[in-house]
Amino acid sequence: MNILDNYIKNKKNIFFSENIDIQNHREKLINIFENDSFDKKNNESLKNINLKNFIDFKYKYLIPEETSVINNNQENSYSIVSVNGQCSSFKDDKIEITKILDEDYNDFSKNDTIENIDHFVNLNSLFLNSGFKIVIKKNNHIKIKISNIITDDDLTIFQKNNYICEEGSSLNLIEEYENKNNSTSNILNVIKLEKNSQLNHFLIQDNSHNHNLIITSHSSCKKDSIYNQKVYNFSEGYVRNFHYSELIEANSEANLEGIFFLKDNNTSNNKTFIRHLAEDCKSNQVYKGILNDRSKATYFSNTHVDQVAQKTEGYQLSKGILLSDNASYFSKPELKIYADDVKCSHGSTIGPIDENAIFYLRSRGMSKIAATKILISSFINEELNSIDSEQMSELIQKKLVRYLSKVK
Amino acid sequence: MNSDTLNTLDTYSKNKYKYGFVTEIDNEKPKKGLNEDTIKFISSKKNEPEWMLEWRLKAYSKWKKMKEPKWANLSFPEIDYQDIYYYSAPKGFEKKPKDLSEVDPKLIETYNKLGIPLEEQKVLAGVAVDVVFDSVSVATTYKGELEKLGIIFCSIGEAIQKHPDLIKKYLGSVIPPGDHAFSALNSAVFTDGSFVYIPEGVKCPMELSTYFRINAENTGQFERTLIIADKGSYVSYLEGCTAPKRDDNQLHAANVELIALEDAEIKYSTVQNWYPGDEDGKGGIYNFVTKRGLCAGKNSKISWTQVETGSAITWKYPSCILKGDNSIGEFYSVAITNNFQQADTGTKMTHIGKNTKSKIISKGISLGKSQNTYRGEVSFLKKADKARNYTQCDSLLVGNQCGAHTVPYIESKNNTAVIEHEASTSKINEDQLYYCRQRGLSHEEAVSLIVNGFCKQVLQELPMEFAVEAQKLVSISLEGSVG
Repeated sequence: MNILDNYIKNKKNIFFSENIDIQNHREKLINIFENDSFDKKNNESLKNINLKNFIDFKYKYLIPEETSVINNNQENSYSIVSVNGQCSSFKDDKIEITKILDEDYNDFSKNDTIENIDHFVNLNSLFLNSGFKIVIKKNNHIKIKISNIITDDDLTIFQKNNYICEEGSSLNLIEEYENKNNSTSNILNVIKLEKNSQLNHFLIQDNSHNHNLIITSHSSCKKDSIYNQKVYNFSEGYVRNFHYSELIEANSEANLEGIFFLKDNNTSNNKTFIRHLAEDCKSNQVYKGILNDRSKATYFSNTHVDQVAQKTEGYQLSKGILLSDNASYFSKPELKIYADDVKCSHGSTIGPIDENAIFYLRSRGMSKIAATKILISSFINEELNSIDSEQMSELIQKKLVRYLSKVK
Repeated sequence: MNSDTLNTLDTYSKNKYKYGFVTEIDNEKPKKGLNEDTIKFISSKKNEPEWMLEWRLKAYSKWKKMKEPKWANLSFPEIDYQDIYYYSAPKGFEKKPKDLSEVDPKLIETYNKLGIPLEEQKVLAGVAVDVVFDSVSVATTYKGELEKLGIIFCSIGEAIQKHPDLIKKYLGSVIPPGDHAFSALNSAVFTDGSFVYIPEGVKCPMELSTYFRINAENTGQFERTLIIADKGSYVSYLEGCTAPKRDDNQLHAANVELIALEDAEIKYSTVQNWYPGDEDGKGGIYNFVTKRGLCAGKNSKISWTQVETGSAITWKYPSCILKGDNSIGEFYSVAITNNFQQADTGTKMTHIGKNTKSKIISKGISLGKSQNTYRGEVSFLKKADKARNYTQCDSLLVGNQCGAHTVPYIESKNNTAVIEHEASTSKINEDQLYYCRQRGLSHEEAVSLIVNGFCKQVLQELPMEFAVEAQKLVSISLEGSVG
């Protein structure tokens, strides 16, 4: 079924379809889909992916029967189970969880900061059917864990979440995506960090073979705020991680990091984009990937430094290890710099596991597989060591061991 | 920095563009615009065989269906291809002069102004010069000595007449006419350029060199250069450019093809100093060049070195296709942009054969209001076992109104190949500047010294004659925008 049919047929179930303004915007988006030539060469969001599967889809959404659970088990610590992208409302003196409102639609959906046309973000705006908004109130320090659950097969979730960290607050956010059914989630996170706030955002992705996950995030940092994002992708299905950050006021910082483990025929597309729009800001983009069997990965990184953003420090690093003859990795680390007093660099490597290192281990009596496994673990050890929660560290170690058990 | 460079700095500090003069020679031109008649006119003027005309017309029909590539980080007004003269040859050149005395004295004067007197060069420098004045080769020197070794060094027009077999076999084999719009355009209307063939086992004893010069208003230059190095041979080729001052933008779309067979090596060096436009960004050359080398045989090597300081727009990606096993590709580049210049330059290394190696060193310096982009692609195809690439691209920013961009594309489909890429962008180190100032250098001298040091890795790859010239160029290019 094509986009227009899906849209007309399911209009009633889609959020904000009574709002004329939004309706007009959506009609424009449909036009884009109908007129675009889907030029893979010039649209990064299309590389290595068969867009047809995502455009000719069958729209299906169920409003969850069971409401989501919000537990305030420890002080300042909450756990949320979001079902089909929905979450019930909750309010106390520290946080507030609500549904998203009409005005939240405009954030980022209508924003032109994404270069070219990102068809997946447009799909999300078109078919928006779930999502929530979490506000961390001033000067509170909160931990939240969100488990994302999808109840049925063949669901198409188009979810938009807003996170707002008010002045002086901090949030430790762990999001888990572990789904075993044949569904597609298209999630757009819009994150706003007010003055002097901090968000440590962990995304653990471990979906089964049939599950497609498309995550796009857009964060904006005001004065003295810090956004740290870490993505751990163990999924056996397709995952797209596109993360954009804007440093809009002085002395803010954004770190977008990720590691991915691919095998079989799996594909993963990754992109990070940091825009320096104010002085004295720092950014880091680090992605590491292990590719086995016939897997494919892309990683686009981009640091944009505006003319006013003097004293910028922006670093990028991309590392890929190919374990098999048939794996392929594409990386495009881009720097766009319009200010002169900056320190920016990028490094990118792709290659096999170091043969000398293998030889060293083997000459000490280790089997080739054991040596390979040790070297893979050490390749990403830095990322794993930086996790301060013991519980999460254990969880990720377990997933790593599972991946390594399949390496031959 | 040597005193020589300092002197040059002084000389040029007040000068604008030194080579901005026009030689008045009656030009014989076809009508403006591009159509089949223009191509037939060019072909008949050059007395070409039928198959060449067909080849051109085929390229033209491809061009008609193509659009200019838009991905580069450049902005310029749309080029009106119908407002350009496609052929301009000084009158009376249908028949070639046999030696220099037959050449129009005005032309000789031009070269004297440029500081490359042919007579002198013939004796002193030991360089055979194939000079292109607008579109027709004026004089080819040192031919005799080269002929003894079996080396063919002539204009492409002559090669079409005399060596049709080689032309038929290799022309368009590395850059197919239909590759992109500019290569198709060049294939359809190319007028002159050089042809080099080095026979098996011959090491060319001298640097082959061509000076290109654009003269005559509104004439696009469409050179086509083809260099073939047969088994076990070696050649070093120099290309240097200056152009007279103009207000109208001039289009330049050259194609350069290199072919290195088994164990052969080609070294191609360019110093490009075309008119970059004035301080307000008016005028200047539009330089859309396609340069591509094919390492066809085992153990072959192609090395590109370029110093790009001129042109309003530079769109240039000298690339290597590493097809033969153990072949090597190298790319060394310095690109300096000032005022309103825009440069989008880099390279493309395609590893096909086993044990292929490539190395890319790129230095970009942006000043004034210019935009300088490095764009490079390194790809390892599936059979490129144990292939290796190392890329380093550094950018230097001087002033806060310019931009420096790095856009590398890196792809690996082989799990034994290793790619390393690093890039950095920064301004001139304050500590280094302070150190130099303390020792009595002026701010400008200090910057020039540091920039020259920054480029050294590339400049030292140039042949001797060029290295001196290039070093001066680097200093001159920094004029007026430092301090």
